[in-house]
Amino acid sequence: MNNTFTHTAGALLLALASGAAWSTTAATVPNAQLIRQGEYLARAGDCIACHTAGTQGKPFAGGLGMETPIGKVYSTNITPDKKAGIGDWSFADFDKLMRTGVTKHGYTVYPAMPYPSYSRLSEADMQALYAYFMHGVKADPTPNKAADIPWPLSMRFPLTIWRWAFAPTPQPYKTPATGDAQLLRGAYLVQGLGHCGACHTARGVGMQEKSLTDEGNTTFLAGGGVIDGWSVPSLRNEHGGGLARWSAAEIAEFLKTGRNSHTASFGAMNDVVAHSMQHMTDGDLAAMAKYLKSLPPSNPATPAFVADDKLGKQLFSGIVNSKGAQLYLDRCAGCHRSDGKGYDKAFPALAGNAVLQTNDPTSAINIVLSGGAVPATRTAPSALTMAPYADIFNDEQTAQVVTFIQTSWGNRGTPVTAAQVAKVRKVSVPVQASQTEATFAAGRHGTFPSVARQPHLKDAPAK
Amino acid sequence: MKIIGISPHRRHFLRKAVGAAPVVALLAGAGGGLAMAVSKDQPAYKPRFFDATEWATLTALVDRLIPADGEGPGALESGAHEFIDAQMNTPYAYGALWYMQGPFVPSIEQFGYQFHMAPRELYKSALAGVNAAVNKQSGKPFVQLNAAERDAVITQLQKGSLDIGEVPAKVFFNQLLQNTREGYFCDPVHGGNKDMLAWKMVGFPGARADYMDWVEQYGKKYPLPPVSIA
Amino acid sequence: MSDIKADVKMKPVDAVIVGFGWTGAIMAKEMTEAGLNVVALERGEYRDTYPDGAYPKTLDELTYIQRSKLFQDMSKSTFTFRHSITGVAVPYRQIGAFKPGTGVGGAGLHWSGMHWRVLPEELQIRSHYERRYGKKFIPEGMTIQDFGVTYAELEPHFDFVEKVFGTSGQAYKVNGIVVGDGNVFEGDRSDNYALAPQKVPYTAELFRRAAKAVGYHPFVNASSNASGPYTNPYGCQMGPCNFCGFCSGYACYNYSKASPNVNIMPALRMVANFELRANCNVVRINLDGSKKRATGVTYINADGKAVEQPADLVIASAFAYNNAHLFLLSGIGKPYDPVSNEGVVGRNIAYQMMSTIQTFFKEDTNTNPFIGAGGTGVALDDWNGDNFDHGPLGFVGGSPAWCNPAGSKPISGIATPDGTPAWGSAWKKAVKKSYLNTVSFDCHGANMTYRDCYVDLDPTYTDKYGQQLLRFTFDWKENDIKMSRFVTDKMMKVAEAMNPESIKVSVKSVGDHLDLRNYQTTHWAGGTAMGADRKTSVVNRYLQSWDVHNVFAVGSSVFPVGIGYNPTGLACALTYWSAKAIREQYLKDPRPLVA
Repeated sequence: MNNTFTHTAGALLLALASGAAWSTTAATVPNAQLIRQGEYLARAGDCIACHTAGTQGKPFAGGLGMETPIGKVYSTNITPDKKAGIGDWSFADFDKLMRTGVTKHGYTVYPAMPYPSYSRLSEADMQALYAYFMHGVKADPTPNKAADIPWPLSMRFPLTIWRWAFAPTPQPYKTPATGDAQLLRGAYLVQGLGHCGACHTARGVGMQEKSLTDEGNTTFLAGGGVIDGWSVPSLRNEHGGGLARWSAAEIAEFLKTGRNSHTASFGAMNDVVAHSMQHMTDGDLAAMAKYLKSLPPSNPATPAFVADDKLGKQLFSGIVNSKGAQLYLDRCAGCHRSDGKGYDKAFPALAGNAVLQTNDPTSAINIVLSGGAVPATRTAPSALTMAPYADIFNDEQTAQVVTFIQTSWGNRGTPVTAAQVAKVRKVSVPVQASQTEATFAAGRHGTFPSVARQPHLKDAPAK
Repeated sequence: MKIIGISPHRRHFLRKAVGAAPVVALLAGAGGGLAMAVSKDQPAYKPRFFDATEWATLTALVDRLIPADGEGPGALESGAHEFIDAQMNTPYAYGALWYMQGPFVPSIEQFGYQFHMAPRELYKSALAGVNAAVNKQSGKPFVQLNAAERDAVITQLQKGSLDIGEVPAKVFFNQLLQNTREGYFCDPVHGGNKDMLAWKMVGFPGARADYMDWVEQYGKKYPLPPVSIA
Repeated sequence: MSDIKADVKMKPVDAVIVGFGWTGAIMAKEMTEAGLNVVALERGEYRDTYPDGAYPKTLDELTYIQRSKLFQDMSKSTFTFRHSITGVAVPYRQIGAFKPGTGVGGAGLHWSGMHWRVLPEELQIRSHYERRYGKKFIPEGMTIQDFGVTYAELEPHFDFVEKVFGTSGQAYKVNGIVVGDGNVFEGDRSDNYALAPQKVPYTAELFRRAAKAVGYHPFVNASSNASGPYTNPYGCQMGPCNFCGFCSGYACYNYSKASPNVNIMPALRMVANFELRANCNVVRINLDGSKKRATGVTYINADGKAVEQPADLVIASAFAYNNAHLFLLSGIGKPYDPVSNEGVVGRNIAYQMMSTIQTFFKEDTNTNPFIGAGGTGVALDDWNGDNFDHGPLGFVGGSPAWCNPAGSKPISGIATPDGTPAWGSAWKKAVKKSYLNTVSFDCHGANMTYRDCYVDLDPTYTDKYGQQLLRFTFDWKENDIKMSRFVTDKMMKVAEAMNPESIKVSVKSVGDHLDLRNYQTTHWAGGTAMGADRKTSVVNRYLQSWDVHNVFAVGSSVFPVGIGYNPTGLACALTYWSAKAIREQYLKDPRPLVA
């Protein structure tokens, strides 16, 4: 009879830290501390998001296809496999790739790899990353897929030209002697591993990020146009679509859980939260938030949101003055309320929501058509889901209701046309259930060690 | 094109539109949801399950259960009979939702349905049985009776005092009344309750599912029209 | 007994959980926190708020109520019923009086949300009545017994359940001090509810005013439909209930009805030592040669294969009566025989003794009964339990009474005054007038247990796997009908004080039989009763089988009597209580915990 109940939580972590079983290159095995540090940094950089082929792919074994203007490229195998991965790369090889985009074999990678951001990493962090990829990741033999780019576009020398023109001179980050340590840490993370600018900074004619740091410009993180049917907002401390109404704590909370009292995460940001940001320390998240709050507005004249409660009161009494208002009351107010204020962190407010303050309604349209779900994270595991409305509203109705939410309760967004809706409808994808039978299957990814019993349970008081 | 929440303005527009195209509401996975026409300018409904005689008899019965009058729509105007026909092609009508293993033993009424037929068989048998019984006692089929006579027959069914063959009269009456009410009051996506007229009659707001603003507005008439799920 | 043999054997786990509703999910959370490898097996399909409660398709009365979409597939398995030992049982072929749940989340996904604890004296019902009214007061043949656990022992677990569920309510006393306008009859509490009470719809407000006017003590009842957005101790989030009226029978579209899917599963998703397998119907708990130890379970998976899952600990958390069924099929404990009055598995089966009063008002009253939620309303305990003197009355038990506007919908829910025909123009006129001008309230009576009300295996009818169905031998008894008529009479005063145009009462008369046709409630209890005496109980006070010490049964199946309140709060508190005993006592030294 077995009298012991085995505890398996944490066993995997131990195996990972020891690393000995999976290393095949370095003569000496670096210490577990360095590998763990590297793992943390790899999370911050969200390497797994691109270097893994979706939920079915082996971690870091590559194979994720990404559309570029000239064809499809596939991410590479960066496991320590000697043939298919980077197992035979020295530290110098790794460092050169990360800072300059030039591989061990001499060609330049496509700038889907955000090496212009990673060039800013410190020497110590680069060593840690290398240690992790060599000793903390399981080797996988999946060979790299060739890019689906027709010749002559497949020639690589233009990438070298691109790199000369637009990539910064690689230099490791040097911590200045003076300055707010937390702010500097935040800048380091945001500009470097976070590579937030890869989406949140507008790009020039050569598809290069217009600015890679905040020095001497206000375009850095001021918004990145439309990507994959989502408008990418400004992360600067500004009104009209930026983060002016959020406190630093709320920014940190959003990064960690995908939700705060102002809004809920959607689109591509969900993966960033789930795979990357939720693993950051609270200190690092606070630093990043502080840094973002330090970025001045790109247009200081943009007015702040001012709440207008007149409309909310009308709808409360059942007074409906437009088709958009009728549709909103029929189909949206159940969660977002007649006053547009939503319900705290459960259902986001629309009144004052940064998404609805600009002249780009792409995200608003896309959410209405596709629905959406907040990402499940360790500390906020509920993947609250909004159902898609693509089959309920036609283009005209969608335009009416989105116009309504863009322009009501004081929101400063612009009206929307059916033609705009039709465009977004082509790229919208209905939200999938994110808590499913598969998310409770044996051996699933993304789990954490079980937490021992909370001290909440009081013993019965003596009577 | 999908229409939702038909407000009075919209309905007016629909009626006026030249050659108004049928408005189709389709719902996947709604346990029997089928493509339905909502506009009144539709060609006559053709039953898929009932033959002509059965259809005429069913229609006449349903019409008396919820007649047309000044209070609101009758069952026919609401399409309850069309609903029943459509339901006959759902798992429900095949008895798939019931325990239909034998032996079937007649029992006291408190133990509910113990009959061996599923609705498809039951309707066919009972409708024929009604006509046979009415023919026997009145010399004509059910559809040739006048309103009062029809009501009398239905009352006989309700009381179980008419022999309609294999199906016990009460069992048929209960089944028919249940399905008629369903077809009268269901969401229009199922083919009945056309134009949500029955909901409007009683004041049910349909699939609105949000009364946070109204829960404490005591005694106030709810002003918004009903909406359907599609 | 079940004799299905497994084709496949899985790797052993520490604990296997049979049935994944509320009590199964609670046990899963507790056991994974203790570090065990846990597998939960649910016979039904995977279900979740999205897409099974997706807006707006879920707002469909026909699909979810008349076609019972989320409920048990009766074609695969049901129960048989007879009123007495001499009767022949026939199958419950269509869903009527009670609505069996199934699927991941169980009935917990689509329940109402009425959230209660228990009256402290109900846990000691036999000793309490004997002490107050004398040993002869409880009649022969009424087999009620004490639970074997006290309210004080369960209190911290009642509190924790409310925090997990996000229960909205107002406490009367906390640690002996009156803190608000709560239920003056409730047991003492260590803390207030998780959230403030829900708002009160007009229907319940009319009831409340009248109840107060006649001198009763109405209060806003506790509800597990959240009154505001909420995050529970597991980090799981709820939205606020907006009184949509599509509650019982539906998965809540905006996360505001507490369910295993909303309140526990997101946290379980995050830990590696929890696995859930849906479409896996357990047919037997397997025992070793000594019959004193379980080795695991055998189940039929989605492909129809029989699979064995070895485990060191088996938690039977199937719905109510299904636990008794499982024990009978597995040969755990001696089956109860009412003739010899020996054996334990299947005895102490209870239901709920309901009555309803409907009040009809003039036009333009606008009671708006479409506004509501399953747990919403106003209740009073003046006639519940032993809150009144039973001495001169000659019956045991009582009824809480409440106006619980859960959302009346037209196919099933339009009440009409007495004498209204069931069809025709008169019916139409009546529904048109009544719908917006009606208030309905209920007396939700306790149900005692009796020697000849029990379950066993049916000799004739089988489920889709060829296993014998569970057979109910059950009828109403004079004691409970008398109680119900007494309380209904008391509540008529409230109806009259509301000053309606007419009142319609549905109450049983002595001699009325159990009627399975019209919906009443699904609160069946008993079958694997708990108690201090192994001769009259299947599990001990820690819900551990007396016979097989590594098997625990949880849920309302362990109640030895039908309490007045809805059972979920007590069933879940008992589950945490049992889990605590497992974690603190059993896991360290697996053995019978009670001598």
